[in-house]
Amino acid sequence: MIKKTKKTKSGFVLVIGGGIAGIQSSLDLAESGFKVHLLEETPAIGGTMAQLDKTFPTNDCAMCVISPKLVGAGRHLNIELTTNSEIMGVSGEAGNFTVKIKKKPRYIDADKCTGCGACTLNCPVINVIYPVEKPYVKLSIEDMRKVRPILDEYQGKKGNLMPILQQVNQVFNYLPPDVLRYVSVELGIGLSEIYNIASFYNSFSLTPRGRHIIKICMGTTCYVKGGERLFNKVSDEFGIENGETTEDRRFTIESVACLGCCGLAPAIMVDDEVYGKVKVSSIMKILEKYK
Amino acid sequence: MVKIPDIKAFEKLRKKLEGEKDLNRKSICVCGGSACIATGSLGLIDLFEKELKKHGIDDEVDILVTGCHGFCEKGPLVVIRPEGIFYPLVKKENVPDIVTESVIEGKAIEALLYTDPMTDKKIVYEHDVPFYKKQKRLVLGNNGLIDPMVITDYIRVGGYKAFASVVDSMTPDKVIEMVIDSGLKGRGGGGFPTGVKWKLCKNAKGKTKNIVCNADEGDPGAYMDRSILEGNPHSVIEGMLIGGFAITASTGYIYVRTEYPLAIHRLKQAIKQAKGLGFIGKNILGTKFSFDIEIREGSGAFVCGEETSLMHSIEGLSPEPSQRPPFPTESGLWGNPTNINNVETWAVIPLIVNKGSKYFSSIGTENSKGTKIFSLVGKINNSGLVEVPMGISMGEIINGIGGGIPDGKAFKAVQTGGPSGGCIPAALMDIPVDYEKLAEVGSIMGSGGMVVMDEDTCVVDIAKYFLSFTNDESCGKCTSCRDGSKMMLNILTRISEGHGKPEDIDLLLELGEAIKDASQCGLGQTLPNPVLSTIRYFREEYNAHIVDKRCPAHVCKELVNYSIDPEACIGCGVCLKNCSVGAITGKIKEAHLIDPDKCTKCGVCREVCKFNAVIVE
Repeated sequence: MIKKTKKTKSGFVLVIGGGIAGIQSSLDLAESGFKVHLLEETPAIGGTMAQLDKTFPTNDCAMCVISPKLVGAGRHLNIELTTNSEIMGVSGEAGNFTVKIKKKPRYIDADKCTGCGACTLNCPVINVIYPVEKPYVKLSIEDMRKVRPILDEYQGKKGNLMPILQQVNQVFNYLPPDVLRYVSVELGIGLSEIYNIASFYNSFSLTPRGRHIIKICMGTTCYVKGGERLFNKVSDEFGIENGETTEDRRFTIESVACLGCCGLAPAIMVDDEVYGKVKVSSIMKILEKYK
Repeated sequence: MVKIPDIKAFEKLRKKLEGEKDLNRKSICVCGGSACIATGSLGLIDLFEKELKKHGIDDEVDILVTGCHGFCEKGPLVVIRPEGIFYPLVKKENVPDIVTESVIEGKAIEALLYTDPMTDKKIVYEHDVPFYKKQKRLVLGNNGLIDPMVITDYIRVGGYKAFASVVDSMTPDKVIEMVIDSGLKGRGGGGFPTGVKWKLCKNAKGKTKNIVCNADEGDPGAYMDRSILEGNPHSVIEGMLIGGFAITASTGYIYVRTEYPLAIHRLKQAIKQAKGLGFIGKNILGTKFSFDIEIREGSGAFVCGEETSLMHSIEGLSPEPSQRPPFPTESGLWGNPTNINNVETWAVIPLIVNKGSKYFSSIGTENSKGTKIFSLVGKINNSGLVEVPMGISMGEIINGIGGGIPDGKAFKAVQTGGPSGGCIPAALMDIPVDYEKLAEVGSIMGSGGMVVMDEDTCVVDIAKYFLSFTNDESCGKCTSCRDGSKMMLNILTRISEGHGKPEDIDLLLELGEAIKDASQCGLGQTLPNPVLSTIRYFREEYNAHIVDKRCPAHVCKELVNYSIDPEACIGCGVCLKNCSVGAITGKIKEAHLIDPDKCTKCGVCREVCKFNAVIVE
């Protein structure tokens, strides 16, 4: 503790708070020859900056700035760290203060501790496994009714993400963002990973699709026999591009690699029904019956 | 259904079913393949039923909905057995006549019979149709005889016999030896010897082993896997069971693409029935062998046909290919040794076991054994599925089985192997079709797509089509594939629009070689093939686009113009009505005119004109 020497000025400095400001002040003072006591409430110095990624305004890496200073403060002979401590009271006047400090117990011999961290890893108290609380995803009752049976069917099975996404895509006719969030939480698979897969496959849609899906075959045979002209006709007629939906949600058009009906080229598939030998002049008539 | 407890009980059931077979019983076989359903075959079935009831013979005549017969061009197909009278393109109004004349009296109706386009002769019987006559239908043969939804139909024609004999009297090593001896090579495209792959997988270290059936048939223009799954799903299941026994695997996955809803439906039904009879499950037929089969659906990504991507897709990971080695036979699904084969390969296995490896290896050429199914499509008279012995000449397939090119057009080239293959020009029509020869001429066997092209097909346009497909389907992992295909596509687009530069052809060749060398999986390594092979055989046509700024086949939009021949046009006004941009003007009974500024070259006018008055130059 700081010695009380009446009416004489003390050469000690007390810096309160072991954040970046406290550390830098301590280092500067220590370099100028003062003995510094650095007081910190938490068990370690570093403060908020040690938790940051980048710092404003230069976007410098926070740890790159602070870590040499942390080491410097820890090793400087003129700095004495007093961590895990609180100030109880200050008295005296400028040049000669008396500070009362409450040092909380560490239950560890600080002189012998090397800070290897093995004790924290093995601590039976903090390592008790509490059930991790799932993030809450708000989902309407209707959506929940649709998605719950799908999850119940596949949960816990190996490689279940694809079948679940396929079912969701089928039931909702696309992959609604809220449902994907819910699936992510329930399966414990990151949302980014789910989006990676959802955006990879052609048959998954991230936007609502029409009541009827027109698949126009662009297989080699259909292409040679004029499949592209069919596509252009439908696309022009409804004013939508590949994968888009008409405003009234009646049709979505998709070009597909091959429907496997090469004997009937050019072929189209509306919902699950295949039409073969389709002509530019007859395609709109076929679509008329789908309302 | 009751589980079959042991092999003796299976033999008993099999003999009983075979005994029930009545060769003289009348039956109407209606094709239930996807293509025939699309042309209305299911509607015929109800009509046949009604008609039979009307005549009071619905007990004497069976109606059989079979799998794909292969002759998809002429659907819906109906065959009257036992005579084997063959009716193509059957319409609803033909049903009463067919029942009274053919079913009851056994006579053929002249007007409805098939006409051979080469000779113009009418043909009565299915086995006399040149399309079928010149094929050797070992794998597809049963498609037209059985109902794919009924397992006992399959057992009746000898199904699961091969599997029973394997679990009864053979060791896994013996089975593998048999497959190696047969000389069977993978039918998915790679052409790796199947038996050798099985051996590698069996000998690999690992507690559990898996097998996978690759039914992600992505090649545009190929649909033989779909036909097998729809027409005879049990043959694939039996092949997988034999494979599972030989490799000592515990689970099999069938990865089917989602564009094949009917195949998935029939496969599910087949698995359910096989489970019911105890062919799939624990202690199959009372032996120690246990095996389970699961279906996994793809979701429309071409790269998933690549084996490492496919496995990642099953695992629910991002389906990008990964580096080989380790090969799937060492470390596949969830790190376990995994053997992947194509649908056709699995379907051939029961045949090899039943008929012996010597029989199988006696068919085909020195290095390519057995038969191969091709989907013969495009500008050809008889398009459909053909199964032929390896080594048959290309010309025999196209002219003998395919019946030549329609409308008297000239044959130009045939494209094999899908986006990974190449074009073979008319001059090379005498080459035998096998793995080595096709590779020699710059194409590949691939999964078996054969798209025939006539003089109206532009090779630059086809090359551009394939590149835009592969560019779209590239997963994006390797720069050479992702950006290389984009660059090649840009150059081809430039050429097809008439802005090609003389050095473009050499640039394409150089770029193609670089992409081949630098890409990780099969998609990238083979994507330049369509371009390289068309340059090899049709360099002149590329030059015509680049130097003369003209498309000899009149396909490339920017290089052609539509006009109306004033002498041929009678002024009927149909083209005017159909033109969606109003580019056609003219009065009734006077020759019409096309305004080249408004014309979008969509081609509707040419399609609707009955007088061939629209000229494209």
